Amino acid sequence: MSYNSKKTVVSMATGILLAVIYIIYALGDRAPAPDDVKAWAVAMLIFIGIGVTAMIVIMVLFHIAFAIGIAVKENDCDDKEVERIVKSSMVEDERDKLIERKSTHIEHTFVGMGLIAALIALACAMSIVAAVHIMLGATIGGMLIGGCQNIYYHERGV
Amino acid sequence: MSKKPADKKIIITNKIRTLRFFANEMTQLELAEKAGASRQTIMALEAYKYTPSLELAFRIADVFGVPIGEVFEYIKKEENKNA
Repeated sequence: MSYNSKKTVVSMATGILLAVIYIIYALGDRAPAPDDVKAWAVAMLIFIGIGVTAMIVIMVLFHIAFAIGIAVKENDCDDKEVERIVKSSMVEDERDKLIERKSTHIEHTFVGMGLIAALIALACAMSIVAAVHIMLGATIGGMLIGGCQNIYYHERGV
Repeated sequence: MSKKPADKKIIITNKIRTLRFFANEMTQLELAEKAGASRQTIMALEAYKYTPSLELAFRIADVFGVPIGEVFEYIKKEENKNA
């Protein structure tokens, strides 16, 4: 598995973990009342903040682990050679940009569909909180689908 | 009736592996560094899983010091629409 695929897997795993934690919170006793839009908005903002911070920390740890993994794998090479391999693996070239563009496209499509679903939910007299959760779900779903496509293109070719 | 260009599928092949061999067994990593691409891209090119941009194709040809036509070639394949 290439560096980009591993990075995407770690990113997706972090996203899934955060989504599970949020679902546990949302279904638990500490969750705000179903009609308390302000409290839900605050809770979501806090989770987004935690998510961004967690993603940065996990990515830093991933890069350290990746470099150690290469150093262990290439134990007959010197430090400069290992550094060279690590740097080369992290180069983002035209193929990576093309894959990123394609996976982002499907991600945006999914999020757009979520927005429409949320509007339909509102039109069907569902609560604002439900509509916001549909959009949140679509964003997470879009991220996962985009990630899967990213891995597919990196491993199977674009 | 003559076929439109869109009706012909173009398959682009390359001789990067052979050229690397004749370039003193140049590694994929060396070629990637010289051509300004990642090693994964060179691997994908050699496996015919990726068609490079014209710019990268020229850069790869430049690394080997040969014209682009000696590295890449395309094969026109007629698509049978009735099949």
